[in-house]
Amino acid sequence: MVVADPTTLIIFRVKGSLELRCQLDSTEASHIQKVLSRTFESLHAQMKSESCVFTVCNTPVIIWPNKDVFEGITPDSPCEDVLQRIQSDDPENGGKRATKKKGKKDLSVNVISLRLMMEVTKPGPLSAPVISKTVQKSHFLSATLPLDCAVRTHCKDTIKDVCDQLLEALTQQLCEMEKVMLQHMKGSTLLTAEPLHFLLPEPKGLVTVVFPAGVPDKELEAQRRELHQRFELPDDRPYFRRANVYHFPNEHYKDGYLRNPHHALTHPTLENGKVFMVQGIYSYHHYMQDRMDDNGWGCAYRSLQTICSWFQQQGYVELPVPSHKEIQQALVDVGDKQASFVGSRQWIGSIEVQAVLNHLLGITSKIMFVRLQWWQLNLRLIGVAGGGVLAHTILGVAWSESTGQIRYLILDPHYTGSEDLQVITEKGWCGWKGADFWDQTAYYNLCLPQRPRVI
Amino acid sequence: MGRVYIVDEDVEGYLSKLCSQQQAGPVTGLLIGQCSAQRDFVVIAAQTPKDEESAEKPIDKEWVSEHARQVSRMLVGGLTVLGVFMITDADAKDTITTLRQLVFAVENLISSEQKWSPADDDVTDCVTLHVNPKTRKTVCRTFDIKDPKSAAKPADWKYQSGVGSCWTTVSCWLNVDLLIPLPDSRNTKESTQKGLQEGLKVWTRQIESAVCLIDGKKLPEDSELTSGQKRNVRQTYTAQLLTTGDEQRSADVVHPCGGSVSVRGAVHCRAFLHKLLKRDAISTVATRVQILLDEPLASEEQIKDASGGKQQTEELCLPLRIFCSLKASWSLYVCDYQFSDEGLSETVDRLKEMLDVDAAEEDLDTTQEMTAEVTQRSVPTEPPVETIEELKPKRNNYMGAFMAAAAALLATAASMLYLSDM
Repeated sequence: MVVADPTTLIIFRVKGSLELRCQLDSTEASHIQKVLSRTFESLHAQMKSESCVFTVCNTPVIIWPNKDVFEGITPDSPCEDVLQRIQSDDPENGGKRATKKKGKKDLSVNVISLRLMMEVTKPGPLSAPVISKTVQKSHFLSATLPLDCAVRTHCKDTIKDVCDQLLEALTQQLCEMEKVMLQHMKGSTLLTAEPLHFLLPEPKGLVTVVFPAGVPDKELEAQRRELHQRFELPDDRPYFRRANVYHFPNEHYKDGYLRNPHHALTHPTLENGKVFMVQGIYSYHHYMQDRMDDNGWGCAYRSLQTICSWFQQQGYVELPVPSHKEIQQALVDVGDKQASFVGSRQWIGSIEVQAVLNHLLGITSKIMFVRLQWWQLNLRLIGVAGGGVLAHTILGVAWSESTGQIRYLILDPHYTGSEDLQVITEKGWCGWKGADFWDQTAYYNLCLPQRPRVI
Repeated sequence: MGRVYIVDEDVEGYLSKLCSQQQAGPVTGLLIGQCSAQRDFVVIAAQTPKDEESAEKPIDKEWVSEHARQVSRMLVGGLTVLGVFMITDADAKDTITTLRQLVFAVENLISSEQKWSPADDDVTDCVTLHVNPKTRKTVCRTFDIKDPKSAAKPADWKYQSGVGSCWTTVSCWLNVDLLIPLPDSRNTKESTQKGLQEGLKVWTRQIESAVCLIDGKKLPEDSELTSGQKRNVRQTYTAQLLTTGDEQRSADVVHPCGGSVSVRGAVHCRAFLHKLLKRDAISTVATRVQILLDEPLASEEQIKDASGGKQQTEELCLPLRIFCSLKASWSLYVCDYQFSDEGLSETVDRLKEMLDVDAAEEDLDTTQEMTAEVTQRSVPTEPPVETIEELKPKRNNYMGAFMAAAAALLATAASMLYLSDM
């Protein structure tokens, strides 16, 4: 999730909604298409009109891009000046940088949120309203189009440049919405469109795709295949499922779990070292969360929850992270445990993790029975190491070919505190450990879930 | 610690005049002004118009309430009916009981009509004033309209000159562009009314959450624009309103309807406090629509016509807003709505009848809104080109069901109703 050259990158994101309303004299497809096109034309006219306004959230900056009126900032100011205008300390909005930790690379991306608005007042005097009533048994089309465009800019771009780019993006998005609505029209049923942002590997970066609203992922495979081709992406892992939607740095996760705490760490620098880490997003699950007191026995359950969160957030499954009871029930359902197991405080290990991943998520996993002294791993996802009474989640490995030094990036589910990133990273609940972290005499089961090859 | 009412000395003069007219029965009327958290300002008093039939009857609650309802429509944003006065030499206790009934009836009727959502910090006290014509003694009490059991609370009634002279006026021309579906194909007044009310509700929400700019800057809701201590200085500001689309989305994109109503044009809005400008906008549109709908029902044959499956399109202009300045030296306006077939004399008459204001035609400002050119519509609507005969629009359909009984009144304006040739 590393974004190119973050120190000079700002994302300007504009959101707004336009109303699509028209009367349909007939529900015949060609008629709907004609009326819809005409209505979209009037929306395009709105976007090009002098009534179109951008307001920058949490600042006094207001811009009328089509008549070059800039309030609160001058048009040729570099766009990073907007950052200085942000008045609120609220981390939810605006582009406040994350607090810099000493010696750590600042990976934060600045996001500036704008709202698309329409000015409904004009200089007068103007004509009083006319009411026009048409009585006819017919149909009415009414939808709200949720516009959402994001452009990446460099600090040297001026505000005017950014506004021009945003206008172009919005116009483009309107066209795409019209296309998508017509494409997915079935008889007289129309779906509205929704734009979603995805962060693709560089240099493609942030792209926005318009999908038909309310259509589940499984019905959109053809669209995704076309997108994979268009963007030259491998067709064995998802990039365009709804779970893959880019999470902007200034958006809070509503569920309260920490995402990717390992991003806050400084990674080990070994001589001739290579670092392999989990790609993608997972949530940190640990003891005592969700008001579940599993202190002492729930570590593998929590590791399993962390792994499930990864599959869900990468878009492989839609299943939400299972609770302890659901995990236990799954094991009963596959015949691995007796019915009395559900509601108990019994420990599980890697074998059970494998069984649950298979039963609930349809994920197959490899089990490696190892003695962890020195092993070369090319991990591309996370694994659970369970042995005896302890289970941990391995997120990554750093290894030096020349010195043989090895480090493991461990996510420890035994943490019982609150979602405090500073505590978790400073006290090592998520941290790089040496080989001495593992019991050298013990044998461990390593459960390595396999990525399904789907889009 | 009761409320304080700062009353303009012209109101004192008016009430005095009514006292000296020595009328047979009690005289009732409305007190109009602006309220704020700490104190209220009364700038207009208007007696209830005489109802010929009820000259000898006791005070008619419905009549007084209806007067208040009509007057509310003539008030510009920020001004409201604050309460009721009564000039009588009757016993104070009886009078307060009557006044209490009147003020509750008046305020309940007015608030049932208002389309904007009340704010949490809105004042809910209303004032009653009892003036004894012989002694000129005034007794001022307030009631909390939210509490039906509210007891009378004492309040201060103070006369001052130049009340409202330092009020600033905020105004704008608000573009309205709505397309509202009609619920079913029965062309009844009820279905039209219901459809319009629903559609206006969505628009009202948008306006209420709009951003208001003065001089291009957002002002916090509780700040005040005043010209300071300067009196007799006319301060006017032009506001801008920015809206966003409706956030609520319904699942059904396409649903059946019985037709549609479009409202397109601009309204001139004015208020004495910038935060009340939006209320004025909502009120003026709702009032005009209501004035149209208040006209009598469609005639039978027009209803029959409409249900025959044929498309009918009618157009009508909403009445124009005319402003009348009440004070020469500072901004105090009331307004009236004028249909295109009416002359200014009707407005002058209405101002006299409702507000007891003697205005000359020259005092009326008709320049804020223009009559729409109905024959040229900026968005061409295509007539349906179906092969089915009955779906072709009736181009010669003058005056449809919409304003039926008022057809006689608007016959001279029937030229508005034809569609232009496309």
